Amino acid sequence: MIGLYRPGTSVLHRMPTGLKLVCFIGASLAIATTTTSLWQVISALTFVMTGYACAGLSARVLASQVVAARWIILFMLAPQLLFLPAIDAVTNTARVALIVILAALFTLTTRIPDLLDATERACAPFRRFGIRPEAVALVLALTITSIPVIAGFAATIRDAQRARGIPPHRLSFAVPLLIMSLKHADDLADAVSARGIEP
Amino acid sequence: MNSERLISFRQVSVDFGERTALDNVSVLLDQKRIAVIGSNGSGKSTFARLLNGLASASRGEVRVHGIDPIRQARLLRRRVGFIFSNPDSQIVMPTVAEDIAFSLRGRGLSRTEVDERVSRMIQTHGLSHHENSAAHSLSGGQKQLLALSSVLVSEPQLIVADEPTALLDAANTRRISNHLLDEMPQQLVLVTHDLRLAERCDTALWFDQGRLRRCGEPRAVIAEYERSHP
Ligand SMILES: Nc1ncnc2c1ncn2[C@@H]1O[C@H](COP(=O)(O)OP(=O)(O)OP(=O)(O)O)[C@@H](O)[C@H]1O
Ligand SMILES: [Mg+2]
Repeated sequence: MIGLYRPGTSVLHRMPTGLKLVCFIGASLAIATTTTSLWQVISALTFVMTGYACAGLSARVLASQVVAARWIILFMLAPQLLFLPAIDAVTNTARVALIVILAALFTLTTRIPDLLDATERACAPFRRFGIRPEAVALVLALTITSIPVIAGFAATIRDAQRARGIPPHRLSFAVPLLIMSLKHADDLADAVSARGIEP
Repeated sequence: MNSERLISFRQVSVDFGERTALDNVSVLLDQKRIAVIGSNGSGKSTFARLLNGLASASRGEVRVHGIDPIRQARLLRRRVGFIFSNPDSQIVMPTVAEDIAFSLRGRGLSRTEVDERVSRMIQTHGLSHHENSAAHSLSGGQKQLLALSSVLVSEPQLIVADEPTALLDAANTRRISNHLLDEMPQQLVLVTHDLRLAERCDTALWFDQGRLRRCGEPRAVIAEYERSHP
Protein backbone atom coordinates (compact mmCIF):
# COMPACT_ATOMS: atom_id res chain seq x y z
CA MET A 1 0.00 0.00 0.00
CA ILE A 2 2.92 2.26 0.70
CA GLY A 3 4.83 2.48 -2.56
CA LEU A 4 8.59 2.23 -2.39
CA TYR A 5 10.39 5.23 -3.78
CA ARG A 6 11.08 4.92 -7.50
CA PRO A 7 13.83 7.23 -8.67
CA GLY A 8 12.93 9.60 -11.48
CA THR A 9 13.24 13.13 -12.78
CA SER A 10 9.55 13.99 -13.34
CA VAL A 11 7.84 17.15 -12.13
CA LEU A 12 6.47 15.18 -9.19
CA HIS A 13 9.93 13.93 -8.25
CA ARG A 14 11.41 17.41 -8.40
CA MET A 15 8.59 19.24 -6.64
CA PRO A 16 9.49 20.46 -3.11
CA THR A 17 8.20 17.83 -0.69
CA GLY A 18 6.21 20.21 1.49
CA LEU A 19 4.38 21.70 -1.47
CA LYS A 20 3.77 18.23 -2.88
CA LEU A 21 2.31 17.09 0.43
CA VAL A 22 -0.07 20.06 0.51
CA CYS A 23 -1.13 19.41 -3.11
CA PHE A 24 -1.77 15.73 -2.43
CA ILE A 25 -3.77 16.46 0.71
CA GLY A 26 -5.77 19.02 -1.29
CA ALA A 27 -6.41 16.58 -4.12
CA SER A 28 -7.45 13.84 -1.68
CA LEU A 29 -9.88 16.18 0.06
CA ALA A 30 -11.30 17.21 -3.31
CA ILE A 31 -11.83 13.58 -4.28
CA ALA A 32 -13.33 12.78 -0.88
CA THR A 33 -15.85 15.61 -0.99
CA THR A 34 -16.83 15.84 -4.63
CA THR A 35 -16.84 12.33 -6.09
CA THR A 36 -20.46 11.30 -5.74
CA SER A 37 -21.61 10.46 -9.25
CA LEU A 38 -20.21 8.03 -11.75
CA TRP A 39 -18.86 10.67 -14.10
CA GLN A 40 -17.09 12.33 -11.18
CA VAL A 41 -15.48 9.00 -10.34
CA ILE A 42 -14.35 8.70 -13.93
CA SER A 43 -12.85 12.18 -13.94
CA ALA A 44 -11.11 11.53 -10.62
CA LEU A 45 -9.77 8.29 -12.04
CA THR A 46 -8.48 10.15 -15.09
CA PHE A 47 -6.85 12.67 -12.74
CA VAL A 48 -5.06 9.95 -10.75
CA MET A 49 -3.96 8.17 -13.93
CA THR A 50 -2.62 11.45 -15.30
CA GLY A 51 -0.69 11.85 -12.06
CA TYR A 52 0.97 8.45 -12.50
CA ALA A 53 1.73 9.29 -16.14
CA CYS A 54 3.26 12.65 -15.12
CA ALA A 55 5.52 10.81 -12.69
CA GLY A 56 6.73 8.64 -15.56
CA LEU A 57 5.28 5.53 -13.90
CA SER A 58 4.00 2.74 -16.10
CA ALA A 59 0.49 1.31 -16.14
CA ARG A 60 1.99 -1.76 -14.47
CA VAL A 61 3.01 0.28 -11.41
CA LEU A 62 -0.49 1.76 -11.21
CA ALA A 63 -1.99 -1.71 -11.54
CA SER A 64 0.21 -3.08 -8.75
CA GLN A 65 -1.02 -0.29 -6.46
CA VAL A 66 -4.61 -1.27 -7.26
CA VAL A 67 -3.74 -4.88 -6.45
CA ALA A 68 -2.15 -3.76 -3.18
CA ALA A 69 -5.41 -1.98 -2.29
CA ARG A 70 -7.57 -5.00 -3.21
CA TRP A 71 -8.51 -5.89 0.37
CA ILE A 72 -9.68 -2.38 1.12
CA ILE A 73 -11.69 -2.42 -2.06
CA LEU A 74 -13.19 -5.81 -1.27
CA PHE A 75 -13.99 -5.06 2.36
CA MET A 76 -15.68 -1.83 1.43
CA LEU A 77 -17.52 -3.10 -1.58
CA ALA A 78 -18.99 -6.36 -0.27
CA PRO A 79 -21.11 -5.05 2.63
CA GLN A 80 -22.21 -1.97 0.74
CA LEU A 81 -23.47 -4.05 -2.15
CA LEU A 82 -25.86 -5.74 0.29
CA PHE A 83 -27.46 -2.55 1.53
CA LEU A 84 -26.98 0.10 -1.13
CA PRO A 85 -27.79 0.38 -4.80
CA ALA A 86 -24.86 -1.03 -6.78
CA ILE A 87 -23.96 2.32 -8.29
CA ASP A 88 -23.59 3.98 -4.85
CA ALA A 89 -21.57 1.08 -3.51
CA VAL A 90 -19.19 1.38 -6.44
CA THR A 91 -18.79 5.17 -6.19
CA ASN A 92 -18.20 5.00 -2.43
CA THR A 93 -15.56 2.31 -2.82
CA ALA A 94 -13.94 3.96 -5.81
CA ARG A 95 -13.60 7.20 -3.85
CA VAL A 96 -11.62 5.57 -1.06
CA ALA A 97 -9.57 3.40 -3.42
CA LEU A 98 -8.61 6.42 -5.51
CA ILE A 99 -7.39 8.29 -2.44
CA VAL A 100 -5.32 5.29 -1.36
CA ILE A 101 -3.80 5.00 -4.83
CA LEU A 102 -3.11 8.71 -4.90
CA ALA A 103 -1.34 8.46 -1.55
CA ALA A 104 0.81 5.68 -3.00
CA LEU A 105 1.78 8.03 -5.84
CA PHE A 106 3.12 10.39 -3.19
CA THR A 107 5.34 7.76 -1.59
CA LEU A 108 6.43 6.44 -5.01
CA THR A 109 7.86 9.84 -5.92
CA THR A 110 9.15 10.99 -2.53
CA ARG A 111 12.32 9.86 -0.80
CA ILE A 112 11.75 9.12 2.86
CA PRO A 113 14.58 11.41 4.02
CA ASP A 114 12.89 14.28 2.16
CA LEU A 115 9.58 13.40 3.76
CA LEU A 116 11.34 13.44 7.14
CA ASP A 117 12.77 16.89 6.49
CA ALA A 118 9.37 18.20 5.35
CA THR A 119 7.69 16.69 8.42
CA GLU A 120 10.28 18.23 10.70
CA ARG A 121 9.74 21.64 9.14
CA ALA A 122 5.96 21.32 9.30
CA CYS A 123 6.08 20.36 12.98
CA ALA A 124 8.59 23.05 13.93
CA PRO A 125 5.94 25.59 15.06
CA PHE A 126 4.65 23.01 17.59
CA ARG A 127 8.01 22.84 19.31
CA ARG A 128 6.81 25.40 21.88
CA PHE A 129 4.10 22.95 22.94
CA GLY A 130 6.76 20.39 23.77
CA ILE A 131 6.51 18.44 20.52
CA ARG A 132 9.87 17.41 19.08
CA PRO A 133 9.74 17.51 15.27
CA GLU A 134 12.66 15.05 14.88
CA ALA A 135 10.79 12.53 16.99
CA VAL A 136 7.58 12.91 14.98
CA ALA A 137 9.50 12.40 11.72
CA LEU A 138 11.33 9.39 13.11
CA VAL A 139 8.14 7.71 14.30
CA LEU A 140 6.63 8.23 10.87
CA ALA A 141 9.63 6.68 9.10
CA LEU A 142 9.87 3.71 11.47
CA THR A 143 6.16 3.02 11.06
CA ILE A 144 6.50 2.90 7.29
CA THR A 145 9.54 0.62 7.54
CA SER A 146 8.01 -1.70 10.10
CA ILE A 147 4.89 -2.59 8.14
CA PRO A 148 6.59 -5.33 6.05
CA VAL A 149 8.39 -6.65 9.15
CA ILE A 150 5.18 -7.06 11.17
CA ALA A 151 3.50 -8.62 8.12
CA GLY A 152 6.42 -11.07 8.03
CA PHE A 153 5.85 -11.95 11.71
CA ALA A 154 2.19 -12.65 10.98
CA ALA A 155 3.15 -15.03 8.18
CA THR A 156 5.73 -16.78 10.39
CA ILE A 157 3.22 -17.31 13.21
CA ARG A 158 0.57 -18.64 10.86
CA ASP A 159 3.07 -21.08 9.34
CA ALA A 160 4.37 -22.22 12.72
CA GLN A 161 0.83 -22.81 14.03
CA ARG A 162 -0.22 -24.64 10.89
CA ALA A 163 2.90 -26.83 11.09
CA ARG A 164 1.95 -27.83 14.64
CA GLY A 165 -1.70 -28.31 13.75
CA ILE A 166 -2.95 -25.50 16.00
CA PRO A 167 -6.36 -24.40 14.73
CA PRO A 168 -6.50 -20.73 13.76
CA HIS A 169 -7.82 -18.60 16.59
CA ARG A 170 -7.71 -14.86 17.05
CA LEU A 171 -6.05 -14.94 20.47
CA SER A 172 -3.48 -17.63 19.70
CA PHE A 173 -2.49 -15.43 16.79
CA ALA A 174 -2.58 -12.01 18.44
CA VAL A 175 -0.52 -12.86 21.53
CA PRO A 176 2.63 -14.08 19.74
CA LEU A 177 2.26 -11.31 17.18
CA LEU A 178 2.18 -8.72 19.96
CA ILE A 179 5.21 -10.26 21.68
CA MET A 180 7.25 -10.43 18.47
CA SER A 181 6.30 -6.86 17.61
CA LEU A 182 7.31 -5.56 21.03
CA LYS A 183 10.64 -7.40 20.80
CA HIS A 184 11.14 -5.88 17.36
CA ALA A 185 10.37 -2.40 18.71
CA ASP A 186 12.93 -2.93 21.46
CA ASP A 187 15.66 -4.07 19.05
CA LEU A 188 14.84 -1.27 16.65
CA ALA A 189 15.16 1.31 19.41
CA ASP A 190 18.64 -0.05 20.18
CA ALA A 191 19.60 0.06 16.51
CA VAL A 192 18.38 3.63 16.12
CA SER A 193 20.29 4.90 19.13
CA ALA A 194 23.38 2.87 18.17
CA ARG A 195 23.34 4.81 14.90
CA GLY A 196 23.64 8.02 16.83
CA ILE A 197 20.12 9.27 16.18
CA GLU A 198 18.66 10.61 19.40
CA PRO A 199 15.08 9.36 19.65
CA MET B 1 49.82 1.58 24.67
CA ASN B 2 48.06 3.22 21.74
CA SER B 3 45.92 5.86 23.44
CA GLU B 4 44.03 6.60 20.18
CA ARG B 5 42.19 3.33 20.56
CA LEU B 6 42.37 2.62 24.26
CA ILE B 7 39.42 0.86 25.80
CA SER B 8 39.55 0.67 29.57
CA PHE B 9 37.36 -1.10 32.12
CA ARG B 10 38.01 -0.46 35.79
CA GLN B 11 36.26 -2.85 38.18
CA VAL B 12 33.11 -2.81 36.08
CA SER B 13 30.01 -4.71 37.20
CA VAL B 14 26.57 -4.81 35.61
CA ASP B 15 23.54 -6.03 37.55
CA PHE B 16 20.10 -6.82 36.20
CA GLY B 17 18.07 -6.95 39.38
CA GLU B 18 19.38 -9.93 41.34
CA ARG B 19 21.45 -11.23 38.45
CA THR B 20 25.02 -10.10 37.84
CA ALA B 21 25.76 -10.07 34.11
CA LEU B 22 29.30 -8.73 34.48
CA ASP B 23 31.29 -9.16 37.66
CA ASN B 24 34.19 -6.85 38.49
CA VAL B 25 35.83 -6.72 35.08
CA SER B 26 39.08 -4.80 34.69
CA VAL B 27 40.94 -4.71 31.41
CA LEU B 28 42.95 -2.40 29.15
CA LEU B 29 42.75 -2.96 25.40
CA ASP B 30 44.44 -1.16 22.53
CA GLN B 31 44.66 -3.91 19.93
CA LYS B 32 43.10 -3.45 16.51
CA ARG B 33 41.04 -6.64 16.51
CA ILE B 34 39.59 -7.84 19.78
CA ALA B 35 37.67 -11.11 20.02
CA VAL B 36 35.14 -11.83 22.76
CA ILE B 37 34.24 -15.47 23.43
CA GLY B 38 32.39 -17.45 26.08
CA SER B 39 29.33 -19.64 26.51
CA ASN B 40 25.69 -18.45 26.34
CA GLY B 41 24.83 -16.00 29.06
CA SER B 42 28.43 -15.39 30.06
CA GLY B 43 28.18 -11.61 29.61
CA LYS B 44 29.63 -11.05 26.12
CA SER B 45 26.74 -8.96 24.82
CA THR B 46 26.63 -6.97 28.03
CA PHE B 47 30.33 -6.21 27.61
CA ALA B 48 29.76 -5.14 23.99
CA ARG B 49 26.75 -2.98 24.86
CA LEU B 50 28.76 -1.12 27.50
CA LEU B 51 31.09 0.06 24.75
CA ASN B 52 28.48 2.27 23.10
CA GLY B 53 26.27 3.11 26.02
CA LEU B 54 23.42 0.70 25.24
CA ALA B 55 24.08 -0.73 28.70
CA SER B 56 25.45 1.14 31.69
CA ALA B 57 27.77 -0.03 34.42
CA SER B 58 26.23 -0.52 37.86
CA ARG B 59 29.70 -0.04 39.37
CA GLY B 60 33.12 0.84 38.01
CA GLU B 61 34.26 2.94 35.11
CA VAL B 62 34.21 2.40 31.35
CA ARG B 63 36.22 4.58 28.94
CA VAL B 64 36.27 4.17 25.18
CA HIS B 65 38.97 6.26 23.49
CA GLY B 66 38.86 8.45 26.58
CA ILE B 67 35.10 8.99 26.32
CA ASP B 68 32.49 8.12 28.95
CA PRO B 69 29.88 6.14 26.95
CA ILE B 70 26.95 7.29 29.08
CA ARG B 71 27.75 10.91 29.91
CA GLN B 72 29.19 11.70 26.48
CA ALA B 73 26.80 9.48 24.54
CA ARG B 74 26.41 11.79 21.58
CA LEU B 75 30.15 12.13 21.04
CA LEU B 76 30.69 8.42 21.53
CA ARG B 77 28.05 7.26 19.06
CA ARG B 78 29.85 9.13 16.31
CA ARG B 79 33.01 7.16 17.07
CA VAL B 80 31.52 3.75 17.72
CA GLY B 81 29.41 1.76 15.26
CA PHE B 82 27.43 -1.28 16.41
CA ILE B 83 26.38 -4.32 14.38
CA PHE B 84 23.75 -6.67 15.85
CA SER B 85 23.23 -10.30 14.94
CA ASN B 86 19.67 -9.94 13.67
CA PRO B 87 19.83 -7.93 10.46
CA ASP B 88 16.06 -7.42 10.43
CA SER B 89 15.97 -5.23 13.49
CA GLN B 90 18.74 -2.96 12.21
CA ILE B 91 16.91 -1.74 9.14
CA VAL B 92 15.25 1.56 9.91
CA MET B 93 14.32 2.87 6.46
CA PRO B 94 12.37 1.31 3.59
CA THR B 95 15.01 1.14 0.84
CA VAL B 96 18.71 0.27 0.83
CA ALA B 97 19.92 3.76 -0.13
CA GLU B 98 17.57 5.46 2.34
CA ASP B 99 18.71 3.20 5.15
CA ILE B 100 22.38 4.00 4.61
CA ALA B 101 21.64 7.72 4.25
CA PHE B 102 19.73 7.66 7.54
CA SER B 103 23.02 7.26 9.46
CA LEU B 104 24.15 10.65 8.14
CA ARG B 105 21.10 12.59 9.31
CA GLY B 106 21.78 15.63 11.41
CA ARG B 107 25.47 15.80 10.51
CA GLY B 108 25.13 18.93 8.43
CA LEU B 109 26.25 17.27 5.19
CA SER B 110 25.00 18.51 1.83
CA ARG B 111 22.65 16.31 -0.15
CA THR B 112 25.28 15.62 -2.83
CA GLU B 113 27.81 14.65 -0.20
CA VAL B 114 25.33 12.25 1.40
CA ASP B 115 24.47 10.73 -2.00
CA GLU B 116 28.15 10.33 -2.83
CA ARG B 117 29.00 8.61 0.42
CA VAL B 118 25.96 6.35 0.16
CA SER B 119 26.78 5.20 -3.37
CA ARG B 120 30.39 4.55 -2.42
CA MET B 121 29.18 2.26 0.40
CA ILE B 122 26.71 0.53 -1.90
CA GLN B 123 29.48 -0.21 -4.38
CA THR B 124 32.04 -1.41 -1.85
CA HIS B 125 29.61 -3.88 -0.37
CA GLY B 126 28.24 -5.32 -3.59
CA LEU B 127 24.75 -3.88 -3.20
CA SER B 128 24.81 -1.94 -6.48
CA HIS B 129 21.82 -3.68 -8.00
CA HIS B 130 19.77 -3.14 -4.89
CA GLU B 131 20.13 0.58 -4.32
CA ASN B 132 16.40 1.23 -4.54
CA SER B 133 15.20 -2.22 -3.50
CA ALA B 134 13.06 -2.74 -0.44
CA ALA B 135 15.57 -3.38 2.33
CA HIS B 136 13.35 -6.10 3.77
CA SER B 137 13.32 -8.06 0.53
CA LEU B 138 17.08 -8.67 0.69
CA SER B 139 18.51 -12.03 1.77
CA GLY B 140 19.92 -12.39 5.29
CA GLY B 141 23.49 -11.97 4.06
CA GLN B 142 22.64 -8.92 2.00
CA LYS B 143 20.80 -7.40 4.96
CA GLN B 144 23.89 -7.86 7.10
CA LEU B 145 25.98 -6.20 4.36
CA LEU B 146 23.46 -3.37 4.43
CA ALA B 147 23.75 -3.10 8.21
CA LEU B 148 27.53 -2.96 7.83
CA SER B 149 27.25 -0.26 5.14
CA SER B 150 24.89 1.77 7.29
CA VAL B 151 27.37 1.67 10.14
CA LEU B 152 30.54 2.28 8.12
CA VAL B 153 29.10 5.21 6.15
CA SER B 154 29.40 7.48 9.17
CA GLU B 155 33.10 6.57 9.45
CA PRO B 156 33.33 5.41 13.07
CA GLN B 157 36.73 4.61 14.57
CA LEU B 158 35.56 1.51 16.41
CA ILE B 159 33.15 -1.18 15.22
CA VAL B 160 31.48 -3.39 17.82
CA ALA B 161 29.89 -6.47 16.26
CA ASP B 162 27.77 -8.82 18.38
CA GLU B 163 27.71 -12.18 16.57
CA PRO B 164 27.40 -10.55 13.15
CA THR B 165 27.62 -13.87 11.33
CA ALA B 166 25.31 -15.91 13.55
CA LEU B 167 22.51 -16.05 10.99
CA LEU B 168 24.63 -16.25 7.84
CA ASP B 169 25.65 -19.10 5.55
CA ALA B 170 29.31 -20.02 4.95
CA ALA B 171 29.82 -17.73 1.95
CA ASN B 172 28.29 -14.68 3.60
CA THR B 173 30.13 -15.40 6.85
CA ARG B 174 33.39 -15.35 4.91
CA ARG B 175 32.46 -12.14 3.15
CA ILE B 176 31.42 -10.24 6.29
CA SER B 177 34.25 -11.58 8.43
CA ASN B 178 36.91 -10.84 5.79
CA HIS B 179 35.65 -7.32 5.61
CA LEU B 180 35.60 -6.84 9.38
CA LEU B 181 38.89 -8.58 10.09
CA ASP B 182 41.09 -7.81 7.10
CA GLU B 183 39.77 -5.05 4.87
CA MET B 184 38.47 -2.52 7.32
CA PRO B 185 40.97 -0.04 8.82
CA GLN B 186 38.93 0.50 12.00
CA GLN B 187 39.38 -1.06 15.39
CA LEU B 188 37.04 -4.01 15.95
CA VAL B 189 35.44 -5.72 18.93
CA LEU B 190 34.00 -9.00 17.67
CA VAL B 191 31.69 -11.09 19.85
CA THR B 192 31.54 -14.56 18.33
CA HIS B 193 30.93 -18.26 18.90
CA ASP B 194 32.99 -18.99 15.79
CA LEU B 195 36.41 -19.73 17.26
CA ARG B 196 38.09 -19.63 13.85
CA LEU B 197 37.13 -15.97 13.60
CA ALA B 198 38.33 -15.31 17.14
CA GLU B 199 41.66 -16.87 16.23
CA ARG B 200 42.18 -14.27 13.51
CA CYS B 201 42.04 -11.41 16.03
CA ASP B 202 44.97 -9.79 17.83
CA THR B 203 43.69 -10.54 21.29
CA ALA B 204 40.87 -12.55 22.83
CA LEU B 205 38.72 -12.10 25.93
CA TRP B 206 37.04 -15.12 27.47
CA PHE B 207 34.03 -14.47 29.67
CA ASP B 208 32.74 -17.09 32.05
CA GLN B 209 29.64 -16.45 34.19
CA GLY B 210 30.16 -12.72 34.05
CA ARG B 211 33.83 -12.84 34.94
CA LEU B 212 36.72 -12.15 32.62
CA ARG B 213 38.41 -15.53 32.89
CA ARG B 214 41.32 -14.98 30.47
CA CYS B 215 42.60 -12.29 28.15
CA GLY B 216 45.54 -12.50 25.79
CA GLU B 217 46.93 -14.21 22.71
CA PRO B 218 43.90 -15.73 20.91
CA ARG B 219 45.36 -19.22 20.32
CA ALA B 220 46.25 -19.66 23.98
CA VAL B 221 42.90 -18.34 25.23
CA ILE B 222 40.91 -20.46 22.77
CA ALA B 223 42.89 -23.60 23.60
CA GLU B 224 42.17 -23.15 27.28
CA TYR B 225 38.50 -22.35 26.57
CA GLU B 226 38.16 -25.55 24.54
CA ARG B 227 39.85 -27.61 27.25
CA SER B 228 37.34 -26.36 29.82
CA HIS B 229 34.41 -27.24 27.51
CA PRO B 230 35.27 -30.71 26.27
N1 LIG C 1 18.15 -6.78 29.78
C1 LIG C 1 18.39 -7.77 30.63
N2 LIG C 1 17.60 -8.01 31.67
C2 LIG C 1 17.86 -9.00 32.55
N3 LIG C 1 18.89 -9.84 32.43
C3 LIG C 1 19.71 -9.68 31.41
C4 LIG C 1 19.52 -8.64 30.45
N4 LIG C 1 20.52 -8.72 29.54
C5 LIG C 1 21.29 -9.75 29.91
N5 LIG C 1 20.82 -10.33 31.04
C6 LIG C 1 21.44 -11.45 31.75
O1 LIG C 1 22.82 -11.21 31.85
C7 LIG C 1 23.56 -12.38 31.61
C8 LIG C 1 24.56 -12.14 30.50
O2 LIG C 1 23.87 -11.90 29.29
P1 LIG C 1 24.59 -11.60 27.91
O3 LIG C 1 23.51 -11.28 26.95
O4 LIG C 1 25.62 -10.58 28.12
O5 LIG C 1 25.22 -12.99 27.55
P2 LIG C 1 25.98 -13.45 26.23
O6 LIG C 1 27.33 -13.89 26.64
O7 LIG C 1 25.88 -12.41 25.20
O8 LIG C 1 25.14 -14.72 25.81
P3 LIG C 1 24.80 -15.27 24.34
O9 LIG C 1 25.99 -16.05 23.88
O10 LIG C 1 23.65 -16.18 24.60
O11 LIG C 1 24.47 -14.12 23.48
C9 LIG C 1 22.56 -13.47 31.29
O12 LIG C 1 22.39 -14.24 32.45
C10 LIG C 1 21.30 -12.72 30.95
O13 LIG C 1 20.18 -13.46 31.32
MG1 LIG D 1 24.88 -12.26 23.29
